[in-house]
Parts: sequence; C-alpha cells; structure tokens
Amino acid sequence: MAAGTGQGSLAVDARGLVKQFGPRRALDGVDLSIPSGAFLSIFGPNGAGKTTLLRILALLSRPTRGSLSLLGTDALDEPDALRSRIGLISHRSMLYGDLSAQENLEFFSALYHGEPDRVRIRELLELVELDHRRNDPVRTYSRGMQQRLSIARALVNDPELVLLDEPYSGLDPHAAELFDELIGRVREGRTFIMVSHDLEKGFDLCSHVLILARGQVVVCAEKAGIDRAAFRELYLATVGMGVA
Amino acid sequence: MADSRNRGQRRSRRASSFQQYKALLLKDLRQEIRTREMLTSMVVYALLVLTIYGAALAQVGDSVDVVALAGGLLWALIIFTSLLGLNRSFSHETESGCLEGILLAPVDRAVVFLAKATSNLIFLAVVELITVPLFFLFFLSGAELATTTPMMLLPLAVGTVGVAGVGTLLSTMTIDTRGRDVLLAILFIPVVFPLLYACVSATSVAFLGIEGTFGTFWTSLALAGAYDVIMIAAAWGLYEFVVDA
Repeated sequence: MAAGTGQGSLAVDARGLVKQFGPRRALDGVDLSIPSGAFLSIFGPNGAGKTTLLRILALLSRPTRGSLSLLGTDALDEPDALRSRIGLISHRSMLYGDLSAQENLEFFSALYHGEPDRVRIRELLELVELDHRRNDPVRTYSRGMQQRLSIARALVNDPELVLLDEPYSGLDPHAAELFDELIGRVREGRTFIMVSHDLEKGFDLCSHVLILARGQVVVCAEKAGIDRAAFRELYLATVGMGVA
Repeated sequence: MADSRNRGQRRSRRASSFQQYKALLLKDLRQEIRTREMLTSMVVYALLVLTIYGAALAQVGDSVDVVALAGGLLWALIIFTSLLGLNRSFSHETESGCLEGILLAPVDRAVVFLAKATSNLIFLAVVELITVPLFFLFFLSGAELATTTPMMLLPLAVGTVGVAGVGTLLSTMTIDTRGRDVLLAILFIPVVFPLLYACVSATSVAFLGIEGTFGTFWTSLALAGAYDVIMIAAAWGLYEFVVDA
C-alpha cells in the first residue's frame, strides 16, 4: 500500500526495494511513496529492516534490487547530486568529541560548501541554544545537548529530506521534549522520515505511518485515516510477528 | 531561518574535491594535535621496541654485525609501530558514527581515502623523525657507517608512503569487524610484505655500502615505488566499495 500518491511532488518514490545480506533478506520488495513535506514515522520490531531502509534513503547503502527516486531525482544513478539535499540525525551524534561545536559544524559545512558557512553556523547554534557553548569540546556536552547539536549538524546543508534514526535513544524526557520542539521549528519546507520504537511520540509527530515487518511493508498510509487504538493493536500484533 | 531564498544560494555553493580534502585533513591534524593519542602511543611503542632491541643486542655483544641487521631491525620497528597507529586512525571516526556523517556529504570516497592516507603518512613521518635518529643513536653510533648511509632515506620515504596508503585501506576494511586489531595485522603484514622486502633490501644496501651492490638498491627502490603506485591506485579505486559495503 502506498501513501500519499497523487498529492503533488514525491519526496520518496521507491519500487520493489530489496536488500540482501548474504542469505538474509533485510528488505523484501518495499514500495514507498511519500509526498514532499510529509512526516513519515516508521515502526516495526527489531530486525524488521527499518534501519536498512533508512540507510538506503540516506544513500549510505545501495539496494540489491529495485528503484529509488528521492526529491524527483534517481537516487541510484545520481547519488552525489542528492547528498547535499539530505540530512540524517541518528542516535549516534556523528560529532567529534574532541572538537568544539563550532569546529564540528565548520568541518561538516566545509564538506558541503567548501568554505564554512559561518552565518549559517551561527544561526544553527542559536537555534539549538548552544551558542554559549560553541567553543567547548563536544565530549563535555550532555547527551541531550549532543543530540541538539546533531540537529544543527544535520541541517548545516539545509536539507529538504531529513532522516531520523531512533533520535530519542538515550534522551531523558526533558531532552526528548526539547528535541521535539526543535524538530517542530525546522519542519517547514522539509520532508521528515523517522524510525522509532516510541509508538506514541512517533504517531503524534507524523503525517504518515509505515509498519515494517520481516523486510516487508505491513501498512503505509496517511495518519488522518487511521484510528490510534487500531493502529496500536496492529503494531503490537506486528511486533509479535518477530523477525524473519 | 532557513528561508528558501537563502537555500538556493547555499545549495549552489558546492565544495571542490580539494576543499573537501583540505577539510578532512585539517580535521585529522587538529584532532591529533589536541589529543596526541596516536602519536603518543606510537612513539612510546617505538621506544619500547628500541629498548627490547637494545636488551637483545646487549646479550650478543660484538658477535653480531649490527649494521648488517640494521635494515631489518629498522623496518620491523616501522611496520609494528605503524600497525598500532593504523589501528587507532579510525577510532575517532567510529566512536560516534562520524564516518557516516562524512559519507552523507557529497564527498568522493577517494578523497576520504586520500585525506586519511595523508594524515596517516604525516603521523608516521613524525614518529620516524623521532625514532630513526634514536635508532642510529642507540645501535649505530659506535659502528662504522658507510658513506652511502644517508641513501636509506629514499626507501624510508617510499616505504612509508606505501605503508600509509595500504594501511589506510586495510584499516577501513576492518573498522566494523570483531577483533579488528588482530585482523588488521593478519591482513596488513602479508599484503605489505613485497614492499617490506624491497625496503629492507634497499636499506641494508645503503647501510652496508658495499661496492657493486647498488644495482640491488635501485632495483629494490623501483620495486617499492611500483608497489606504491599499484597499491595506492588500487586502494583509490576500491575505497568506494569498501566504505559503502
């Protein structure tokens, strides 16, 4: 089942995605259509293929088979053209602990723009409220602060498609709330795809939902047409299916 | 913020490969200057090896011609010290998933290889700048050195480039493996053996300075140079498959 087809331009259009690791098939014919500006939450049991799917969407891994178009561009033929339009926030901060926030952002900005975009970096540090700690080594930051800084890192190239891989992992409730607030502030004009085990939070944030199990799409639909309780039951039944 | 007017302007500015190479290299150097993790461990290890050499050679007195063994001893020191450094060279990249952060950017994977190989080469050269004079001081200061001894700098330079290039590729391959320290050694030593053999041969000829053996010096140096070119070109080409696997 595809979500959001026929609603303007598609941020993600995947057909028959298969990812094989030796004898194990992590993704088994995934079809996915997500309109631009949507917020998709991906749920599923451990080993369902969620992170594999997200890594393919982040262009960190190539599918074994299938076609993938991101932001209207063929992702398998022109990955380099797309990389500057995609950002990833993971449970791992992707930040160098011995460098300061400013140095980390300057480094990642230089990879995209050649010279660090210092105006953008200042804006981002202000956005994530870490401007006052800009020169401190990242290893001195709390987990919540590191995750806020990783939002800034992911936005340094001003991406249209933002991927979130278990972003709440290791965050206390207050830090998770701050994280949600930040995501809300940068949501305009971007498409978000989030992998999460937190059903309530994932359901609240999203406009579209996807449940994966055994590498296959169980359900992919707009949230508006789904009853929360029924979805919860379906999710729990899916988790009970375990993995391949 | 992030208004669409600025977005287009921002996206139109693409980094050149050289700018990305410079950013990656400066980041590695900045980190090492700040932590000194790699250099300290390599220098301390090299000093320990020199101490062991000293203890072993003290047992045999004058019955062994140290100059004849010096090429082999020096290269054993360099290879094992570089292994330690290569094992650590990706520790910062894997700690918080930073390598993925780099690979998310539109960076040619070969540029990532080149920057990492260059930083490894610089760190190895710094360690050699400290340990090679100490090697001479401890073991060769009393010996009669041939006038051709300074020529050992040629195989040293060619060998260090090869070790840094091949070592960078292999250490990337072992990043996510269990027991990567052991695996890197198991892969690295056989792969680098032809280079090691050629460099030991050329260095020994330079130390001994025996007339009529300089054909061997230049042949060995040419073999080491050819090894560098072939292996670094292969690593350059293969790096994309290695990091994207």
